[in-house]
Amino acid sequence: MFVRGRFLLLAGLLFMAPPTVAAGTSTAEPAVRQGEYVYRAAGCYGCHTDEKHAGKPLAGGHALATPFGTFYSPNITPDAETGIGRWSEQDFLRALREGLSPSGDHYYPSFPYPSYTRLTDDDQRALWAYLKAQPPVKQANRKHDLKWFARARSFVGSWKSLYFTPGVYRPDAAKSTAWNRGAYLAEAAAHCGECHTPRTALGGIKSGMHYAGTRDGPDDSVVPNITPDRKTGIGRWRASELAEYLETGMTPDGDSAGDLMAEVIDNGLKYLRKEDLEAIAEYVLSLPPVEHAVRKADKKPAKKEEFE
Amino acid sequence: MKHSRNPHCILFASVCLMAGTAFAAEPEDIIKYRQNVMKSQAAHLAAAGAIINGKVDFKGQLGDHAKALQATTKDIPSLFPKDSDFGETKALDAVWQKNAEFQKLAKDTQQKAGALAKAVAANDSKNYAARFKDVADSCKACHKDFRKEEK
Repeated sequence: MFVRGRFLLLAGLLFMAPPTVAAGTSTAEPAVRQGEYVYRAAGCYGCHTDEKHAGKPLAGGHALATPFGTFYSPNITPDAETGIGRWSEQDFLRALREGLSPSGDHYYPSFPYPSYTRLTDDDQRALWAYLKAQPPVKQANRKHDLKWFARARSFVGSWKSLYFTPGVYRPDAAKSTAWNRGAYLAEAAAHCGECHTPRTALGGIKSGMHYAGTRDGPDDSVVPNITPDRKTGIGRWRASELAEYLETGMTPDGDSAGDLMAEVIDNGLKYLRKEDLEAIAEYVLSLPPVEHAVRKADKKPAKKEEFE
Repeated sequence: MKHSRNPHCILFASVCLMAGTAFAAEPEDIIKYRQNVMKSQAAHLAAAGAIINGKVDFKGQLGDHAKALQATTKDIPSLFPKDSDFGETKALDAVWQKNAEFQKLAKDTQQKAGALAKAVAANDSKNYAARFKDVADSCKACHKDFRKEEK
């Protein structure tokens, strides 16, 4: 759906496209530098780059397999034809805040706008400045490959009315500055809950299960419970260990992050300031523990015969 | 003679049997073995990290952990023979399908573990933290594309 919307947009803007931001914007510009930090914290690169097939940064095409079908991320480089080169800042802000394309189509929440809507106006504009300063890449978007029930546009509209609350992150005055910073980074930018919180059959966030992990993660992965439950979550981790993990990928047992989380760390989290990682750790470990075992250990292992 | 032949036969048979089992280890046993070797590496890495980061004061043992890491990372690909790709393993098919890449990353881990062991042997304490981080990064680099999370 939103691919078609993009084409309409491009067609509509052919005659009225305002000149894009002058090329050669200095990367020393403060907004761009701030934007780069938001970009790292928000993990844009990971989903918008098809690293597995040596795709160019931010040119899209990264597959995200979900129970609703496979989503392919769009090109968000400033290329005028295939990327977001003809977008206005307002278009971009609306996408982040309301999950709407410039032509008013709903985006699927595979694009985590339910989180990005919590980013501050300042951070959203800085992110725009950063994206506009990246090299354009000409690469056409690939259509999502969705199951029949997810194809209808009305599906996304209903989904939004059920599960989507727009609006910036509101600090909790009863909590410390560090806690609020951690909550902001985890909820608005890093969007931890988009993968770590289980979803209903309709793809909404399950209430009372915040960060409790799921067996139905993207790309058929099992996403661990990261609530501070001592048995099934990370309740035995100390805040310093969690902060270290977010930087290096090493767990307190010396095990290593793998798969999707290794991507999240390598492409984003490891670039964050130490105090920000500590803030995220403080916030995550302060959440209500939820006992919820997600490992497939109890599932019978596949027998070789079944594959032959 | 009847009596002396039998023991030879039995001996011969049991040698064959032993050799047979050694050559055709059950894939399940290979997987378990590899997981145990990997777990030992994780444990030595975490132990070395705790010493290097100053959390504990077992400096005298740092060399042991570093040497253990160096020894057990010597030939990681040998732990992944063909046919050890199903059942209770998180190893992705990519281990066998993109084997050259896998070998390269395993080699990197071997070199990084060697560099850490060398730094510790040389008492080069100001470089411990950097060499340690190199090893952790190298583990993650391989796990990123070759191990499925929690399966």
